[in-house]
Amino acid sequence: MIIFYTLLRREIKRFAKVVIQTVVSPIVSSALYLLVFGVSLGGSVQLNNGFAYLTFLIPGLMVMGLTNNAFQNSSSSIVTSKFSGDLEDLRVAPIPHYYIVWAMGLGGVFRGSLVAIITGLVGTAFHYAQLGKLIPIEHPFWMLYFFMIGGLTFAFIGIFVAFLARSFDQLSAFTAFVLLPLTYLGGVFISIQNLAPIWQTLSKFNPLFYLINGFRYSMLGQADVDLMTAVGVSLLAAVITFILANYSLAKGSFSRW
Amino acid sequence: MSTAALEVINLKKTYQDKVGDSVVEAVKGINFSIKAGTIFGLLGPNGAGKTTIIAAITTLEKPTSGDVLVFGNSVTEKPLLTKRQVGVVHQEVINTGYFSVAEILDFQSGYYGLFKNKERCEYLMHKLSLHEHREKKTRQLSGGMKRRLMIAKALVHSPKLLLLDEPTAGVDVGLRESLWNFVQELKKDGLSILLTTHYLEEAEQLCDQVAIIHKGQLLFNGHSTDVISQYTLKKFTIFLKNGEKKEFEEATKMGLNEVLVKHQIQLSEIQDIKIEEGKLEKAFAKMVAQ
Ligand SMILES: Nc1ncnc2c1ncn2[C@@H]1O[C@H](COP(=O)(O)OP(=O)(O)OP(=O)(O)O)[C@@H](O)[C@H]1O
Ligand SMILES: [Mg+2]
Repeated sequence: MIIFYTLLRREIKRFAKVVIQTVVSPIVSSALYLLVFGVSLGGSVQLNNGFAYLTFLIPGLMVMGLTNNAFQNSSSSIVTSKFSGDLEDLRVAPIPHYYIVWAMGLGGVFRGSLVAIITGLVGTAFHYAQLGKLIPIEHPFWMLYFFMIGGLTFAFIGIFVAFLARSFDQLSAFTAFVLLPLTYLGGVFISIQNLAPIWQTLSKFNPLFYLINGFRYSMLGQADVDLMTAVGVSLLAAVITFILANYSLAKGSFSRW
Repeated sequence: MSTAALEVINLKKTYQDKVGDSVVEAVKGINFSIKAGTIFGLLGPNGAGKTTIIAAITTLEKPTSGDVLVFGNSVTEKPLLTKRQVGVVHQEVINTGYFSVAEILDFQSGYYGLFKNKERCEYLMHKLSLHEHREKKTRQLSGGMKRRLMIAKALVHSPKLLLLDEPTAGVDVGLRESLWNFVQELKKDGLSILLTTHYLEEAEQLCDQVAIIHKGQLLFNGHSTDVISQYTLKKFTIFLKNGEKKEFEEATKMGLNEVLVKHQIQLSEIQDIKIEEGKLEKAFAKMVAQ
């Protein structure tokens, strides 16, 4: 228990030391997205479900902040530890692998949720200024659920990728070629109802699609998939990525780069 | 007989380099053991396989075959048990970015399940002259200070077996001496110690046993005095009263008397005598050359 607590404390302390860069930059980027897409272009986007585009966009941006930062947190923690040699300490000490996976997973949830909440607050300010009302939260419990499950899943993916990566470039390649496309095609900015049928079908295989829409449902009470499908698929994704993360610790290298 | 602190059994390690098809046989079937409570020196030139052996003990590298026992327990079968008993100072210097010396020691204690470990950390910081640097981050420390921090880290959980991979590399002379004194002290406290060093003189003075490895193979394992007597000659320089100087190199076990008899020199002819003992350095060079 002390070991686990130490690992978690280290994750959170590490992130707290770089809090400005990790919190301010997502505030700026989400404010930009809101400004460009939500406010400027928002008027010209027609949604089938009767929501203003800005209302639709905010949950999507929150999930994007959550998953990106959860991924960032665990992967950068591992990569910097590989550079410094600290990762070897975790291998040399009597620490079961799943402790490391859970601690980094929760670290990701923590940082991801923080960014998502800040994004939500910034979004709410825009929302109020633009539409004169607050953004609804229909199902707070499910909202928490998606915070938790989304943060864990993407922190686990970060662990998996960072452990198996043999260089910094491989990690960047994963972000550029896998993570970003999944995020953009998962429905942050658009409802898949506006997409061609082929993209609609492909989206059904994107786990982020369920996360984004599940979360959107928890706020707006309406989304592209029904709640229980989103809950089930995202839970499954979390379990699979947890297994992958543990696998990467068993197979990957703790040695220095 | 009590169990050995460390037993390395038929250890082999082959690195598969994924890029090319090159394969490095870093350790080619090595056996040795360390008696509990003693200091053991692992010596060998660059690339001999010393760090690889240490990595196998700490489970950083998985043996290709063979095994390592720490106080009788296999590191591959019971890693959580053996890891508690082992502390290691790596050869490569650490470079922890975010945390101070005190925080690093605190986390390190936590990794071993120790929550209230302040006293031990304070003691180690004092012992290793780190106290005045406790608030510094590693990048603000000099190379030697980092090395001392690594030693403190290795000791927070009071291990029974300490592995030191070239702990004196980059450490100045004065500090090196105090470090070795500290190692002696640890030995008195009952620790078993495995160390590697390129300063053979130190190994000679400090180690109860030494092993010499070269290209992944064990060349010698025993007392350092034995390796000296087997591989070096004692040098006798005899100054005679008539101004002549005679030099002989003889086996280390030869006494002065025997040498004088052998070379038919009378005691009354002698003005002065100088005897130089063989050095590990020489034995080492000779062994590696063969
Ligand atoms: N991760 C690795 N991948 C591939 N080859 C390796 C790896 N680590 C070490 N080697 C090779 O294994 C051999 C033994 O290396 P090792 O680091 O154990 O030597 P050493 O005795 O510690 O040397 P030194 O005195 O320079 O520290 C060397 O030939 C080295 O190139
Ligand atoms: Mg080495």
